[in-house]
Amino acid sequence: MSFHLLIRRVHLYLGMFLLPWFFVYGVSSIPFSHAEYFQQRYGRPQWSVRFERPYHIEAPPGADLRPIGARILKDNGLDGAFGVYRPNERTIEVYRFRFGSATRLRYRQDEKRLVAEDSHARWNHLLTELHARGGFDQDSFLNDLWAVVVDMVSIGIVLWIATGIYMWWQLPQCRRWGWAALGGGGGLFVIFLATL
Amino acid sequence: MYLALGLSSWMLMYALSTMTMNHRHLFRSPPQWQAEKQETYQAAFAEGADPRLIGGQILAHLGLEGRFNASRQPGGRIQVTRHDPVAPRRISYTPADGKLVVERMVFRAPAFLERMHRRRGYGTGPGLEDTWAFSVDLVIGAMIFWVLSGLWMWWEMKATRGWGLLTAALGLGLFTVFLKTI
Repeated sequence: MSFHLLIRRVHLYLGMFLLPWFFVYGVSSIPFSHAEYFQQRYGRPQWSVRFERPYHIEAPPGADLRPIGARILKDNGLDGAFGVYRPNERTIEVYRFRFGSATRLRYRQDEKRLVAEDSHARWNHLLTELHARGGFDQDSFLNDLWAVVVDMVSIGIVLWIATGIYMWWQLPQCRRWGWAALGGGGGLFVIFLATL
Repeated sequence: MYLALGLSSWMLMYALSTMTMNHRHLFRSPPQWQAEKQETYQAAFAEGADPRLIGGQILAHLGLEGRFNASRQPGGRIQVTRHDPVAPRRISYTPADGKLVVERMVFRAPAFLERMHRRRGYGTGPGLEDTWAFSVDLVIGAMIFWVLSGLWMWWEMKATRGWGLLTAALGLGLFTVFLKTI
């Protein structure tokens, strides 16, 4: 296989494998870019209470919240990817998420009370979740694998740019307009950086 | 091809910023500010004036117009954050004595990339802000177009149909597993 053919095949098959991610990243950017429209059309996220019960867990100020969040989930029969934070000094909030659904557990330390709420599924939320998901901070093989694929998509885009530029250069009749597009785009990007 | 060449700067920025955001534990650090300027700003604002109005006027005075937000801090101090993509500024103005302090965020590549990644939306500021938002929409349209045109170009090359189908099925299968399980 010649180098030229190798470049073409890498460009193609990488694109075919990562096609669902690339497509989803494109489509899911729409709710981010037009957030105001989606907010007006669909309103704020809706939550319904799953349970509300007395609960207690020690959570001193400054404590690492991650094990506390994991314990709150486990004590209440829940698992999966989650984030945890303190919206104020009296409250700990655990946000457990799957694609298409989420559960919010709000623990009031002063009242020793826990409220769990489920989000109402919405397609635009699914898209933004697919877009924003990433990172290696969950203790789960599949979540880490997703993050690996996110890296693959990023590296894939860099490779598509490099192989695309190589393939363009192999077409002498396209060089002039290619330079115009490459230079015009790069120049406009620099103007944005200098003026925004 | 020309669309891809034209938008390659945007795609490179989105790819690199995604990598830094995906490995935030490696790159995260609190922003550092360095003093840039301090002066006395003589202006009369009505008590309780909208911080955005004050912020806009201060930025115009400093020649730093652009996307910003402004808030009134306890004690009456006005804090303005100018969202410059390369060098964000934090400006503190104390109406009582007219003290104006301008600080500039120390440049860090991961933070710069993330700022660019998150910059979007119409009606968020003056100047070229809407043009930038349009360029983001153009990237979105291009990504969808590349998927569709890529599929068509693959289908036109009979020699690659088998391996193309296999890699696409593998990718789609893995994506479906993720949708069902995480």
